[in-house]
Parts: sequence; structure tokens; C-alpha cells
Amino acid sequence: MKRIREFFAGIFRVYCREFKLVLKDPGIILFITFLPLAYPVIYSLIYNPELVKDVPMVVVDNDRSPLSRQLVREIDACDQARVIGYAADLPEARRAMDSHKCFAILEIPGGFGRKIGRSESASAAMYCDMSLLLRYRGFLVAATEVMQAMGGELSTEKLNLVAPLAETIVTEDLLPIENISMGNIRNGFDSFIMPGVLILILHQCIVLALGMAGGARREKASAIGYNPHNNARYIPATMIGQMLCYSTLLALPALYMIHYVPLMFRFPMEGNLLEEMAFLMPMLAACFGIGFVLQAFTTERESVFVSWVVTSLIFLLLSGLIWPRYDMYGVWKAMSDICPATWAVEGFVKMNANGAALWQVRHEYLMLWLNAAGWLAAGYCAQRWCVLPSIYGKSRKSVDKEVLPTRS
Amino acid sequence: MIMNKESATLKTGARAIMVRSLVQIVRRPLLWIAMIGLPLFMFLFVTSMFEKGLPTRIPAAIVDRDGTSLSRQITQTLGGMQMVDLKETPQSYTEARHAMQEGRIYGFFLIPENFEADLLSGRSPEISFYTNMVYFVPGSLLFKTFKATAVYTKAGVAVSVAQSAGQNPETAAPLLQPINIAARPIGNPQLNYGIYLANSFIPAVLQLMIMLVTVFSLGQEIKRHTSTRLLRMARGSIFRAVYSKLLPQTVIWWVMAVFMVSWLYKYNHFTMQGSWGWMILSELLFVMAAQSFALFVFGLLPNLRLSLSVCALTGILSFSIAAFSFPEESMYPAMSIFSWLMPVRYNFLIYADQALNGRDIFYSRIWYVAYIAYIVLPVTVMWRIKRFMAKPVYAP
Repeated sequence: MKRIREFFAGIFRVYCREFKLVLKDPGIILFITFLPLAYPVIYSLIYNPELVKDVPMVVVDNDRSPLSRQLVREIDACDQARVIGYAADLPEARRAMDSHKCFAILEIPGGFGRKIGRSESASAAMYCDMSLLLRYRGFLVAATEVMQAMGGELSTEKLNLVAPLAETIVTEDLLPIENISMGNIRNGFDSFIMPGVLILILHQCIVLALGMAGGARREKASAIGYNPHNNARYIPATMIGQMLCYSTLLALPALYMIHYVPLMFRFPMEGNLLEEMAFLMPMLAACFGIGFVLQAFTTERESVFVSWVVTSLIFLLLSGLIWPRYDMYGVWKAMSDICPATWAVEGFVKMNANGAALWQVRHEYLMLWLNAAGWLAAGYCAQRWCVLPSIYGKSRKSVDKEVLPTRS
Repeated sequence: MIMNKESATLKTGARAIMVRSLVQIVRRPLLWIAMIGLPLFMFLFVTSMFEKGLPTRIPAAIVDRDGTSLSRQITQTLGGMQMVDLKETPQSYTEARHAMQEGRIYGFFLIPENFEADLLSGRSPEISFYTNMVYFVPGSLLFKTFKATAVYTKAGVAVSVAQSAGQNPETAAPLLQPINIAARPIGNPQLNYGIYLANSFIPAVLQLMIMLVTVFSLGQEIKRHTSTRLLRMARGSIFRAVYSKLLPQTVIWWVMAVFMVSWLYKYNHFTMQGSWGWMILSELLFVMAAQSFALFVFGLLPNLRLSLSVCALTGILSFSIAAFSFPEESMYPAMSIFSWLMPVRYNFLIYADQALNGRDIFYSRIWYVAYIAYIVLPVTVMWRIKRFMAKPVYAP
């Protein structure tokens, strides 16, 4: 009974003292205020135009017939492309592309109109710059749409010409095709990438803050101007106390990130906020676990930047947002399985954009809890056998006694 | 007295500083990881992640509410497509939507009830398909496949209409698609995602690590109060101190950069239509530009943590703001300005000009000049670095 009381008293003392330590540390404050508050806004602003429109294109028209001009007009009228001019020949068009004035060349061969007049199929070529896939995609969509719209008109005309009997049937569209984008109805880039990135930012806030706190603990107190040690008799009590402290501090920023940022930038918001919060709980716990493990490798406050910042990219690529997880190589898939970010991004995106309920993401939820348990256990081991001995330079037993907080 | 004794034995000059800098790198495992381990891992990781080029066999479903021979034929056509793996056969729209919400499929194709009957009697039934655009790549690929299937179906119907009106099937075929616009993706005909992403992401990783290590190693001098000693070794010249200190790092980064070029274009056979010389020159200058950018940041904010924060922020933001995926001209003008502030932006433009498109060097000249501007930039803040190095104060 006494032990239990001491355990909870330890949690409480660590919790209170950790606040004081965090407030004294401008580095950690930056991680838990600036990072969650400003970063999502900067990121969202970059992609906020959502769609790639009016990408410049140059036309080489070797046909100069009414039909070829109609083709160019219709492509120009598409949202995605903008015809900035005609070039006399392909080398001239290439020069325009080389000097970065346009990103595609539409070449219409001679005899284009005549071929259609003869009821043959006429083809044009579109050369696209491939440095960015979004530009190419836009050109492709524009070309496909024009191809179908103009082709549909022409073939209806022709069909009625050769087979007047069919007129009654083909005057209207035989078989209308409709496509619907789910989740991200505008096909916007911001709405696609940001919900996942928000989760990654939250993830990195916690790990970086905890890593920096760990670095502070292992540096000379005189170097950083305050005594960063804060331990209860039992390591789990210390860990829980610290976790509670950071959770308290991050509660509002987290709410801001998963609710208000999507609200401000009109990202998809199909999920139930309470369910999303419940879903993200185990992710927070797992992030704390990773942070505690990172402390074992962080001997200096600033080294978290050098060692950890680049992992954001690793987590993003492993999360399945860019490359689908089902098609990853086994080793990367296994690696992504043990990243809480993977499951959090997957589940959050499904809830937030596709409107999945908590029970529909049960697999992700279960994996998050498993991750939380695994990482917290690893965190305990890191603290017990690595961080504490390296601070006190003695065997665990004597650490246990010295670690007791002085009641002042 | 101690000072005098120390300065008597203190080796001065650029070579001594370089040796000292090298020893510092050798003694710090963190720097091995940051300069060699992490970049190498990222080279391997990014290229291996996208090695297949494009994902194939994307899980999808077809909801066949008609159940006739025509609808089964559509199912077969769709199932035969390379991009699609018809994993589920939901019986209703709701069931299919749930499968999509749970992530079991990335999209589905819907054939309505009485499809065949309506079609034959000219009542224009509508076929529709749904793609989950929350996952951009599989969503877009499914869209393309679904659309192709729908268009084929439509063409088949039109042929039978023409035939029923007495038209010969051979002559009817060109009627269905009178206009064809063939897309010619220059330099990346297979639409390989690796060529598209690895060529921009990998240099951006290098930039991030270069900036962090540069600032970290300079900041350490101030934090550990060794900067005064460094200045004495340089006989008071801040240029000698900083550049001799950074040169060994530059050499390591150069080796990494040349390895990166060979990794991308030699081992992975990514498109290389231009000259190797200009690409390698670009990477060498890029390394110096990134170091100089970091040096400039450090000159503005000689606080280790703040300058590291700024470098981490800009380094990570570079992946987005340097317009590797979302074009710079489509961003808000106020944001797109920042795109031009990142060294890696010029690296990307040179890659697109030289390696991907094989353009004449004339068209990339300005990007190379931009590198040189970066390299000159820190000269303007050297006096500040000297001031802080002479009187080192560590603020956590």
C-alpha cells in the first residue's frame, strides 16, 4: 500500500517539476508551441492552391485546318492547360521548352483534318516535360477529355452520316460515364497530403521535445543553467509523470492541428472529432516511447536535430500516403509496421477524409496500441539500462536511491 | 600564464585547423551517422521504395448490380487490366464504400441494375466509378484504368449500334475514336515514380544533412567555448578559421555527392541525357551552396539551437517549397518566392535541364550562377561570426 502511494506521489511530483523544467527550456517550448502552431499553417499555405491549372503549352500546327484549330481551342479551354502560342516547327517549340517558357508541345501533323474527313483516325502527339508528375497529369487529363469530347461529337456525326437508321439511338449519349472522387473530392494536392502531414508533425513534436529533454538531462547542469533532473523512485512513475506533463502541454496544440487547421484550410473533415482523439491516444503513447528510447542516444540537447529531423521523411514515405503499403518491399513494410506514424496516418486519413468510424479502423487502432506497448517497454529498458546509469555513472541499485527527489 | 604556455605550443595555420576539424569528426559517432550513415541509408531507402516504378495490381472492386452477360464481360475486361486487382465483390454501393473506408480497396466500379436491358433499348444507363483520391497515386492510376474500361465498353456498344445499322465492323472502328492524342513523356516514358521523386528527394536529404552538420559543428565551438582557441589557431582570421574548419567536411560531402550522382544515374539507370561533367559540377557547387547557406544562417543567429532550428525548418520545408511535386508557378506568389531561396531548388532545375531533358548548358546558366551567389553570401556575415566566436556565450 505504501509503495502504491509512493508510486502515485512520484508521478505527481515528476509531473509538477517537469512543468518548471519545460518552461525554463526555450528549446522544448519551441517544439511544443511554434512547431505545432506555425508549421501546419506554413505547410498548408504552400499547397493550398490545391490544383495545377493553366500550365503553359506550345502548339506546332502543321495542318492549319479548322479541325486542328478547334483541337487547340478546346485544349486551351481546359482548366489544366494554357496554349501560349504557336511555333513554326518542332525546333522552335523545343527552344521555348528549353528556356522554361512551356512544359508541353502539341504537334499536329499535316493531313490531320483531311484524315478525319476521310473517316480515318487522326493522331496528334503531345511531348511533355516530366520533371513534375502533376503537370504531366494535368496535360494528360486535358488531352483525354478533349479527345473524348471532340471524338464523341465527330463520331456521332459520322455514324449518323453512314447509318441514318441509327440516328434515333445515337443523338444522345449512348452510355454516359461518371466518375466520382471520394475523400478528396477536388483531387487537390493539399487535401491529399496535409492530413497525413499533420499527424507526422504531431509525432515529431513529441519525439523531438522528449529527445531534447533527454539531452538536457545528460549534459552538465552548469552548461545549461539549470538542473534538469527529475526522477521518481520508480522509473515507470517518472515516465508516466513526464508523459502526463507533455500531454497536458500538447493537448491544445493537438486539438488545433487535427481540428482547426483542417477547418481553416477546408481539408476534408468527415470524421468524428471525439473518435479521432480516442484514436490518436495510443499514437501519443507510442511517440513518448520512441522519445524515451531516443534519449538513450542523445547526449546533448542539440544533437536531436542532427539525428532525428530527417526521420520525418522516412516516416512520410513509410506511411503509405505516397506509395501504397500493400506494394512495398517486405523489409520496408515490416519497418513501417513498427512505426506508430504509419498506423496513425492510415487511420486518421481514413477517418478524417473517408469518414470511417472508429470500428472501421480497428486494425490500425489495435496496431497502434501494440506499438504503444512495445515502444513504452523499449523506452523503459532504455531508461533503466542506458539513460539513468549514464547520468549517475553507477549501477542501477545505487541510482535507485540517489534518484529520489530531494524534498525542498 | 597558462594562456601563454598554451599559445606557445598551439599549432596555427589552416592545415592545423583542418586536422583538428577532421579529428573532431572522427571522434564524434553522431557525425559519422549524420554525414555518412543517414545519407547512405536514405539513398538506398528512397530508390528502393520506388524501385517498381509504379504500383500495380491495386486492390479494387466491382459492384455488379446487373448480373448479365454484358456486365460479366465488363468485369472480365476490368479484371484483365494490369493495374487492377479485383479483390472484393461487394453486392451494393454501401458495402463497397465501407470496404473503401476500411482501406481494403482504393476504388470501385459500379454497373447499375437493368444495365444491359436499358442499354439495348436505348435508355442510356449510366456507369460510374469511384476512386479514393485520399491516396493520390493509387487513386489516379485506378481512375485511368476505370476510365479506359468504361471507354472500351462504350466503344463496344457503339460498334454494335453501327453494325446493327448495317455498317461494316472494320470501317466502324475508326469512327469510335476519330482523334487520338498520344502523350510522349520525355525522359521518363514508363512514368517511373522513382525517377520523379528520387532525383529531387535525395539531394534534398543531402542538403538537410549538410546544413545541420555545418551549423552543428560551428555552434559546438561556441557552446564548448573552443571558438577562441580556433580563432587563435587561425591567427585571428575568421575566414581562415571557418573555411579551414569546413573544408574537411566539404570534401566528405563531395564524395557523398559524387557517389549520389553515380548511384542515381549509373546504378539505378535513371535518365541521364546530358553531360556527366555538368551534373557533377552542379552537385559539387550544390554542396558548397548548402554549406554557405547554413553558414549564413549561423551568422545571422549564432545561437546553436536557433540556427539549427532554422536549418531544420528550411531543410524539411525544402521538400515542399522547392516545388518537387507541386509546381512553383501554381503556388501563391507570396509562397513561391521562398522556393527560390533554397539551394536545392537550383539543384532540381539543373537536374531537370541536364539529366532529364539533356538541354544545352546555355539554358541552365542562371542556376549555376545562383550557386555562386550562395557561396559568396556568407561573406556578409563573417564579422558577426567573428564577434561571437571571440566572446562565446552559450544560450540553451
